[in-house]
Amino acid sequence: MSTATTSTNSEKVLDYFAIFGVPRKLWIEMSELEQKFLQMSWKLHPDNFVNATEQERELSLKRSSELNDAYRTLRDPIARVEYLLGIEGERKEGEKKQQAPPELLEEVFELNESLEELREARASGQDLTGLQARLETAEKSFQEKLGEVDAELQSAAREWDAALTVDSAARKKVMARLNELLNRRSYIRNLVTNVAKELGEV
Amino acid sequence: MGRIVGIDLGTTNSLVAYADALTGQPKCIPGPYGSTLCPSVVSIDTDGSVIVGQPAKRRLLTQPERTIYSVKRLMGRGPTDIQDELKLFPFRIAPASRNVIRVRLGDKVFTPPEISAFILRELKNWAEAFFGETVDRAVITVPAYFNDAQRQATKDAGRIAGLEVLRLVNEPTAAALAYGLHEKQRGKVAVYDLGGGTFDISVLKLISTSEGDIYQVLSTNGDTHLGGDDIDNLLQAFVHELILQHDRVDFSPHGELAQELRKALIQVKHQLSETEAATLRFSLPNGKVFTHEFTRGALDALIRPVVDRTMGPVKQALADAQLKPADIGEVVLVGGATRTPLIRRTVQEFFDRKPHTELNPDEVVALGAAVQANILDRGVKNMLLLDVTPLSLGIETYGGAVAKVIPRNSTIPASAQELYTTGVDNQTGIEIHVLQGERELAKDCRSLARFTLKVPPAPAGLPRIEVKFLIDANGILQVGARDLRTGEQHSIEVQPSYGISHAEIERMLEESIEYAEQDFAERQLIEARTEADTILAATVKAQANPKSAELTADEGAKIDASVAALKESVAGTDYKLIRKRIDELNRATEHLAELLMSSAVSTALEGRKLAEV
Repeated sequence: MSTATTSTNSEKVLDYFAIFGVPRKLWIEMSELEQKFLQMSWKLHPDNFVNATEQERELSLKRSSELNDAYRTLRDPIARVEYLLGIEGERKEGEKKQQAPPELLEEVFELNESLEELREARASGQDLTGLQARLETAEKSFQEKLGEVDAELQSAAREWDAALTVDSAARKKVMARLNELLNRRSYIRNLVTNVAKELGEV
Repeated sequence: MGRIVGIDLGTTNSLVAYADALTGQPKCIPGPYGSTLCPSVVSIDTDGSVIVGQPAKRRLLTQPERTIYSVKRLMGRGPTDIQDELKLFPFRIAPASRNVIRVRLGDKVFTPPEISAFILRELKNWAEAFFGETVDRAVITVPAYFNDAQRQATKDAGRIAGLEVLRLVNEPTAAALAYGLHEKQRGKVAVYDLGGGTFDISVLKLISTSEGDIYQVLSTNGDTHLGGDDIDNLLQAFVHELILQHDRVDFSPHGELAQELRKALIQVKHQLSETEAATLRFSLPNGKVFTHEFTRGALDALIRPVVDRTMGPVKQALADAQLKPADIGEVVLVGGATRTPLIRRTVQEFFDRKPHTELNPDEVVALGAAVQANILDRGVKNMLLLDVTPLSLGIETYGGAVAKVIPRNSTIPASAQELYTTGVDNQTGIEIHVLQGERELAKDCRSLARFTLKVPPAPAGLPRIEVKFLIDANGILQVGARDLRTGEQHSIEVQPSYGISHAEIERMLEESIEYAEQDFAERQLIEARTEADTILAATVKAQANPKSAELTADEGAKIDASVAALKESVAGTDYKLIRKRIDELNRATEHLAELLMSSAVSTALEGRKLAEV
């Protein structure tokens, strides 16, 4: 399992936006996307090619899987941003992923302390009610932050759509911002998941 | 090309169905015993011949060591997976079962796909006798929550049985197709499918478009080891304990006596679906008769744990579809176990909606398979099924963690590409481990396959190999690789973690010929003659009955003529002619059959043939 890297790579030529014939915008009319998805599914699905030549069957499998992959990705607003940055060659997670965003450092530190206390208290069978309440408050606070990041992502997405037809310098700037927001979101989400998991075990 | 059928390869019973060529209406095909249910039981006789279905079921009591039931529980599983099953089921696992389980029946040893193939072949025979034509292709249903190995094993079974498996369809999806709910309702549908050994819940969205209706599965969940069998196990353990306490009789959990008790308990269970109380009477070897009065309330309390276990997956499936119970427009109940009043009540309360039970819950899955078979066969496109993969596909990464590459509930076919390179100079291989499941660590997920990606010698980090993981429309994984520097396709020999190799299947296919491939026409002729003998004997008996005097002279003459014509055809070798004459005699004796039945019974048995009276 030595060295695997993720799939969103510049070598990939397939463009999910192009499959649906839409520009690389981050705001997508969902009902329209669904309509197109269903229409194309009628044509591409392997069910249509059961009695066809092997070559046609292979092609149907390839095309319909690409269609499904594209729909799955573009339907999800976060996956859509990740994918866009990937094909634009601007998605960089790497080393920054595991680091707390500076403005969150203090809160994250406190949270980790509470989590540690909770684990210890649980191991020694102490009363957990106080700690639990504290963690629930923290969880709520990070949930709110997640909401804030999502709102920021939305506004950055609008900037991207507006810059699409303008200049490449503006686009690069928005992409850097989107990339940073995605990393922050992923970090906070992990925190929330972890807290929820610990609380779930109480 | 021969005919195509839909097959429900069930844990307890299996069925075969076809769609009417004119109307497209699906129908189940009855077997030689008149029932459409073929018990999924296989027995190997001392002379090596294979007995399937009803007669094999009887041999569970007389020759348990040569007979196997519920083999579906073993499909696609490894020896270490089934330790729990072995406590509850009398499977005799042969030693030296490494990746594939081998079951001992008498002095022979079989893999689960081979045993399932016997059942499929039996159903194929039923259908061939029914059509008078060969059947060579099938749509086979599988539990929606079956993993890759279990699906592959089912497909292998079809191939060993001499069937081209055009599609594996998920059982709840097939049920939705059979109901054809689009005609009444568009919207979200939940299918709750509790079979003999497996539980599935699927949430579908029904969409009508200008081209036709689309059945889009939004999410699915389940438990491949939860079913009516578990209810029977609970009942059996409960009564076994009572007998031990009261009568001090202990018996082996898998012996003849245990099978008798199980049979009696299943009858009590079925009765309690109709009445509020039922009594178990069971003869013990010490001559005493054990009796126990069950009320429905007591049964409910006993089986509640099983019913509760189904609700976790139900809630997860709804959450995955981002829906609440109130968003569900229609609920469909599938599987024999859903006849249980407690289950109906629990599902109805959860969704606050009366579930659909119009179609026979035993037949509905096979009917749906026939609908899909018809679509695939004729290319008549007024319906499209978009199903999902029930489990996430992942790759093992550093430290035994799993990176998910295709999330569960992705519409299939679905794919993912991963890019691999080397860590040291001139490294010639990269190990890849593919898994299925939702857990974070590889050791908690289901191992699908391991393989080594071959890399041409080069400085570390220079090779770029793209591996494509693709889940096809059957929910089965395919792997391909491409060297991005040269554009060359690499072939990958994927060794499944659990399953039979390609070469082994070919060998089984050859071997299976010795079991079945009697000449088709010859077999048809034998069956037609047997049926003719039965009806001729029944006619002679009926004509001797005083009631036959009430027939008109014309009717009597017609019967005599039909008998003569049938006898004449039996002397020949044209099985189609014999079948035609059988039908004629059946029609000629319709009134006679009615006369022979007492009026009270005749209403219940209306339309039955003379040979059945």
